Amino acid sequence: MASQKRISKELADCSASPPAGMSITLASDSDVHKWHITLDGPVGSAYAGGRFGLIVSLPTDYPFKPPVVTFATRIYHPNVTNDATGAICLGLLKPEQWKPSTRVQSVLEAVRALLVEPNPDDPLESRIADEYRANRAEFNRNARAYVNKYATGPVTFSSAAAAGSAAGSGSGSGDATGGKAQGS
Amino acid sequence: MDSHDLADSDNPRDVELVSLSAIYPEIQQVRQGDPYTIALDVPVSPDKAVIVYFPAASDTANGAPPVDRHELAHLPSLHLEITFGPDYPFEKPPSVAVSTNPPWLPAETIKKLEDDGPRLWDEMGRDIVGFTYIDHIQQSVENVFGLVDENGALEVDAQHKIAILDYDIQARRAAFEKETFDCGVCLDPKKGSACHRMMDCGHVFCTACLQDFYNNAIKEGDLVSVRCLAPSCARDRQKAAGVGKKQKKLKTYISPSELLQIPLDQEAVKRYVALKYKTELESDKNTIYCPRQWCNGAARSKKHKKPQGLDLADDDEEDDEDGDSASDNSGDANREPKSKPYKVAEELLAICDECSFAFCTRCLQSWHGEFVRCTPRRDKEELTAEEQASLEYMKLHTSPCPTCAAPAQKTHGCNHMICYRCQSHFCYLCSAWLDPGNPYQHFNEAPGGRITSCYMRLWELENGDGADVGLGFAGGPGEDRGAALAAAAVPHELVPEIEEPDDDEEAERAAAAAAAAAAAIAARPAAQQGAPQARDGHDNDNGQIGIAREGPLVLRIAGNQPAGAGRGGPRRAPPQRPGVPAPPLHAAEGIALPNHVGHGLARAVPAPPIRGRGVDARAGAPRIGAFARWRVRGGGPAAAGAAAPNRQNNHNHQQQQRNQAQNAQRRNNHNNLNGGANNAAAAPGAPPRDLELDLEAGVGGGGGGGGGLNAAQEAWIRQFVQLAMDDEEDLLLEDDDDDDDDDDDDVQRHGRWQ
Repeated sequence: MASQKRISKELADCSASPPAGMSITLASDSDVHKWHITLDGPVGSAYAGGRFGLIVSLPTDYPFKPPVVTFATRIYHPNVTNDATGAICLGLLKPEQWKPSTRVQSVLEAVRALLVEPNPDDPLESRIADEYRANRAEFNRNARAYVNKYATGPVTFSSAAAAGSAAGSGSGSGDATGGKAQGS
Repeated sequence: MDSHDLADSDNPRDVELVSLSAIYPEIQQVRQGDPYTIALDVPVSPDKAVIVYFPAASDTANGAPPVDRHELAHLPSLHLEITFGPDYPFEKPPSVAVSTNPPWLPAETIKKLEDDGPRLWDEMGRDIVGFTYIDHIQQSVENVFGLVDENGALEVDAQHKIAILDYDIQARRAAFEKETFDCGVCLDPKKGSACHRMMDCGHVFCTACLQDFYNNAIKEGDLVSVRCLAPSCARDRQKAAGVGKKQKKLKTYISPSELLQIPLDQEAVKRYVALKYKTELESDKNTIYCPRQWCNGAARSKKHKKPQGLDLADDDEEDDEDGDSASDNSGDANREPKSKPYKVAEELLAICDECSFAFCTRCLQSWHGEFVRCTPRRDKEELTAEEQASLEYMKLHTSPCPTCAAPAQKTHGCNHMICYRCQSHFCYLCSAWLDPGNPYQHFNEAPGGRITSCYMRLWELENGDGADVGLGFAGGPGEDRGAALAAAAVPHELVPEIEEPDDDEEAERAAAAAAAAAAAIAARPAAQQGAPQARDGHDNDNGQIGIAREGPLVLRIAGNQPAGAGRGGPRRAPPQRPGVPAPPLHAAEGIALPNHVGHGLARAVPAPPIRGRGVDARAGAPRIGAFARWRVRGGGPAAAGAAAPNRQNNHNHQQQQRNQAQNAQRRNNHNNLNGGANNAAAAPGAPPRDLELDLEAGVGGGGGGGGGLNAAQEAWIRQFVQLAMDDEEDLLLEDDDDDDDDDDDDVQRHGRWQ
């Protein structure tokens, strides 16, 4: 299968020279279509010090269809849904923008760049985007709070972890609103 | 002799040939048996591509800047033929023949190159010169033998253009196929021969990946994806192309011809072209589609050309056209106001690209030529209430010009109209075209004694048509009449009396007639409240409003119409649907002008002559009509019956009031139709003889004063007209004097009748 060949090749390349601050493993050895990536919060960003789990799912018709990348770790970010899904809004992953010659490595680098510089003009969480624009200090505080709450321990990719973070979402949003109240 | 023989020789000529063959394996012998004449093709492929221009004949004279420029990496190679004669190398230089195919090199250059052989031989001290010479030629390829000017441009005779360009393409392809590329999609290294270089951006992918991806995208209808597969390719190109310049959007899609080159299946490319055309049409809201249900093809358009075969209409061309048309439009807009009264014929005429059906873009009917006016076909549902109301109003209060169909509304004056748009003469009543030489003939008796339905009706609607016409419409004789009509609302005077029918069929007929009559009479929903005031015989706004609100039931009485129209005249009128509320215009009106009595339900159009049994309709009816100024429109008795329910509540109510004591219970059981029938049946409606005289006197007085009629007379006229339409007027004539007011009797009749 063409896609498997390419994925194997990419995996080999990525594993040999992973993008900065990342380590890559397969979810299971028998399936090259699901990658687990551990991403260190970029130094200098609000996420520095955190360790984030990323799940890269490569569709069977990859690279004709874009991979699906989600955060397994909760993160406070304008372009990542503030829930257990952790969906990422990334231009080059949108089906209409996806180019088959884009590699997972570039995708991962783009995700990392998104942590360094969020894109509040195309947000998934408009409230966080507004905050990012209007009150950067507050945003940084909230982002750090999330890092401390969710992204300090060992990274887990399991669905149990997702469920756990889902359970934590209530208190998480509580924090967020509390933070907002303070800010105003 | 072959190289082995030469190798054994110590003849310097032979030694040189051996070494040359080793250095240039492509060296060939020109002639069998003559090893000393060798041929060699030297490719002319400078490292830096050369700009080649082909001056047109006229350009050379005035030195105009070259227009036809091409950047070429490969020029047709130089063919060397070197003959090492028997006296070479010590006595004579080698003789050299240089040629190109096509002969794109100027003769001087050829000569110079040929002379270089002996010259070099001389410079070398008359020794072996073969390698030096060939190397010298190869070196001078870099600047194309000194022909390239300081700008890196090379001028070549235009006659060789095609051959030279062709050579370049082939040479490039050959070079490409020898290369190896890493396909960005499958990440495998592929030979150039299994790859495709994108025409616009130069990115290279392997054929298999391109085929897979594009076929898939085309199959799924994902046309946007049919573009270069390199990340941010278009963006980079855009950046590279347009710095500071006025940017034209770069073409990102891939042309069908390139898809075929990749190669993709013809079927897939066909689908691609068709889909692209379709989306292009769909994204243009001005696209007109064929009105044929089974076709629904798009009409031919200059903007979107239907693809012929596998060629898409060229994008550039399209852009240019856009630009042109845009500037044209703006020019037009400046020259003349935007609201052109007419669409010109070529805008109206559309021809379906699929089935070649020629149709009108306005009315979507088959093409009717340029001079027929038509109106857009519209869905009722699409119209807003306001539009609906205004359409209703137009239907009710305008007449179309027979030539151009422009609707005209008369504000005052006679019924001889001249179209404001096309100056046609026509009759306001029937829209008949009138002879400009003698337009009034229509309203008079024709030489043969023939008369039209508009006979003697020149001055009908003298005060204008319409519910809200202000000009010359307020006041006038209508006022009194309106009052009189309103006064006629007095219940017991309205109720017509009809003899008990003999049989069921008769009864049905009577019922229908009665319903019609009742409907007409009950054209005053507010009759109850209005009646007391109306009896005073003064202007009564309530009553009039009541009438004005009664829109739906209108009977048109038209005499002297063609066969079937005499009796069936009412049926010719546009049927009004039962239960349709009065047009909002009427309802919204706060105050009804006096003549509105005639404009709501029964408009102020005189009743035309009625032909009926036993009545001198021609003598009497027109006058009555002229006097009463009312026109009843609608579907005739049947429609009246259908429409009647709206009113019968009132009617019933009146009767109930009158007859509470006796009949309330039974009446409650009546159905609507019966109610109407009852009412009609209960009304004798027979006017006293002298009433008729009064009527005529009134007419004789010029119709100026309606005061001559009392409410009862008015009511009778109404009944008469209604019954006349059903040929029942003799009922009235038979039953004369049993006129008014016996309510109890009325009710008893009802009872019997049921």
